[in-house]
Amino acid sequence: MKAKQGQRRVLTGNIVAANAARLCRPEVIAAYPITPQSEVAEQLSAFVADGMLDSEIVEVEGENSAMNVVCAASVAGARVFTATSSYGLVFMYDTLLQTAGFRAPVVMVNVNRETPGIHAVSSGQQDMIATRDSGWAQIIVENNQEIMDQIIMSYRLAEDFDIQLPVMVNYDGYYLSYLAEAVELPEQSDVDAFLEPLKKQPGRPRVIPGESTGCGTHGMEMGYVEARYKHWLALERVKNKVDEIDKAFGEYFGRSYGGQIEEYRTADADIIVLASGSAAGTARTVIDAKREQGIKAGLVKLRLFRPFPEERLIQALKGKKAVGVIDRSVCFGWKYGPMCTELKALAPSIGSIPILSYIDGLANLDITIPHISRVVDEVQAAASGKSFQDVTWIPMEEL
Amino acid sequence: MVVKHKAIFKTESPWSNGKGVLLKLDTGSWRTERPVLDVSKCNYCGLCALYCPPQCMFDRGDHFEANLAFCKGCGICAKECPRGAYKMVPEGEFANEG
Repeated sequence: MKAKQGQRRVLTGNIVAANAARLCRPEVIAAYPITPQSEVAEQLSAFVADGMLDSEIVEVEGENSAMNVVCAASVAGARVFTATSSYGLVFMYDTLLQTAGFRAPVVMVNVNRETPGIHAVSSGQQDMIATRDSGWAQIIVENNQEIMDQIIMSYRLAEDFDIQLPVMVNYDGYYLSYLAEAVELPEQSDVDAFLEPLKKQPGRPRVIPGESTGCGTHGMEMGYVEARYKHWLALERVKNKVDEIDKAFGEYFGRSYGGQIEEYRTADADIIVLASGSAAGTARTVIDAKREQGIKAGLVKLRLFRPFPEERLIQALKGKKAVGVIDRSVCFGWKYGPMCTELKALAPSIGSIPILSYIDGLANLDITIPHISRVVDEVQAAASGKSFQDVTWIPMEEL
Repeated sequence: MVVKHKAIFKTESPWSNGKGVLLKLDTGSWRTERPVLDVSKCNYCGLCALYCPPQCMFDRGDHFEANLAFCKGCGICAKECPRGAYKMVPEGEFANEG
């Protein structure tokens, strides 16, 4: 069975995110506006005010409360949605951990923006990286259509009985949040049909008025260890589940994204560029150009950051001669970028090849075609045995 | 990996309930003194139960009494009681009660 052709509209990333949430029919929404996410919260309020969405909107005084509200509503059995960015994400840090520990299937959009310390109202993935170990599944998307599709897929993932985990959908602030591009809006009946399998699953536990039940009660000693062990196992299961859901989505809606990672011209490639988010689109253009020059380069777009797609990456990178990783954030206290650091842990399985770390695109500085072209050239040189620089902060050298 | 641990939680998430598994902190063991009520001074106003931080006061119909399984002995009930009906007594006084 196939979905009907959806309506094609030109919409910004934020409006697409709000529409995606609307189509998934969340029963409770609590989102505090923050640049560059504000349109998501505003549009969802407008949908409810216009009678286009039957949701309870809880107006909160900050993000910490927003996450507490959606976590509690989720534990009470509701489907929930929230959205945030940067300062908002770190303001809800304790409740992020709580939501994950409660195994509440919250779906949240995080519009990537630089974090406090240096006040930067600009794009960057540092906010997402700062919450890496919160126990959430973290997915990064590349364009507005993928925002739409991944939010829908995220409900299938979060609420799956075998998973029961909160999911954070990340997209680049400014680059995507305010970018208007053509997007196909699926029909409501098709989104309903895609989410229908969740209704056939066993019900998850929920708070029942008058009954002394509770979640996250003091897990002393082995209770704590057991809860953590189950949480850790569930995150391991997320990897295959992301692939399965992506495949099912592709079969039904005709669009798929490769699941945990998307591989572009990797099969016969000698060298690989690993990138994520909107920069992956630019990287694809560079790969095509380099291929015309006879350089056998390929792109791996990292979609799933948590859990880290260990097996899929080993499969994609095994036998390659060198890899360049572009990070849009900094790993404080460890010299490579965060994604590069993680990739280096796979070295025993992919072989002792040069892995070059690049820091680029901080604070709204563009990850340009010349930047990625330079990455490809340097990775190619490293692959042929030339010496290379471990870490390169591209803007520090190019400006 | 062989997991030998017998599951405490019946659910995927760490849920417990009053009828089955109720995981709790044994906070009563932290106590060094306990509130002892002089019932003749008590007028059942309920302030002690209202202020009790772990909310472990039993309602006995005409007075309140701390649930010693949870009472940490913080003494707030004794401090707040307008009639001075509670006396904080060192646990050593009860050492022979077993």
